Amino acid sequence: MNPLDDQLDRLFRSAAQSSAGHPVSAPFYGLETRVMAAWLAGQSVETGFWDMTLLVRGLIVAGLIMAVSFWPVLKSTQNSTEGAANPFAEYLQLTDSTISSDDAP
Amino acid sequence: MTDAEVAECLARGREGDEKAILELFHYMYPHVAKLVQANLPARESAEDLVQQVCIKVMAHLNQFSGKVPFLHWVSRIAVNTCLNQIRHEKRRPEVRLADLSEEEAKVVAHLATSRGELDASDHVASKELVDKLLGALRPADRLLMRLMYLEGRQMDEIAGLTGWNRSLIKVRAFRARAQLRRRYNLLMKENR
Repeated sequence: MNPLDDQLDRLFRSAAQSSAGHPVSAPFYGLETRVMAAWLAGQSVETGFWDMTLLVRGLIVAGLIMAVSFWPVLKSTQNSTEGAANPFAEYLQLTDSTISSDDAP
Repeated sequence: MTDAEVAECLARGREGDEKAILELFHYMYPHVAKLVQANLPARESAEDLVQQVCIKVMAHLNQFSGKVPFLHWVSRIAVNTCLNQIRHEKRRPEVRLADLSEEEAKVVAHLATSRGELDASDHVASKELVDKLLGALRPADRLLMRLMYLEGRQMDEIAGLTGWNRSLIKVRAFRARAQLRRRYNLLMKENR
């Protein structure tokens, strides 16, 4: 092994023993309160998110019900407007048939 | 606290039991403090970081799925928070022999002249010397060296904590170790 690597390893081993013996102090003043506040905020965000999801789902279902219930009305309106789309259609058809019958020998 | 006890605390917490959440906090706090202190030498910012990690954990407690042990999940949040924090730190300049304290210089001299392990009385100076040497590395490399050599964590564990894959860890470790060796060599040359 490279002597430098050996020295570095010994240095790290010694430093690791210092880190291992480092005592952990108690939570500092006010941390508990802040942590609890964060948890409560997380809870409310969660609830808010759930409410939003519920609202979106409700809107989708309401939209579907509206579409289904308006479908027959829309269909009938579309049919009537197709007929009325060209008001001269019937007149032109009648004229055409008259002309063709006049030309007949 | 066992996994079952953690799960019970979480269930109680979901029902709004604040005592259960406090129990969880007191369970994870020493672990978080130790991780943060190990990865960030400056104590003042370590306190801020402990608070940041604890708040992050508590705010996202509902996202804990229970697929991994609770402390692993907490560790990952702690390590990522430390990594984000130390990314903003600048690299310190090269370590010179003149910058070392008397105890640290004694450690360097001991390492150069003796093949034996360092005395228990040298542990603190060794830690400070290591901190100085690591300070010159890039933040991610510094974190990796700490996890590997000071905390003695295995590759899989580091991958779990940092989210890095094994090959990235190997490459980073090799590069960081080479840089450390080069810096340490400079110190040794000055020591002669």
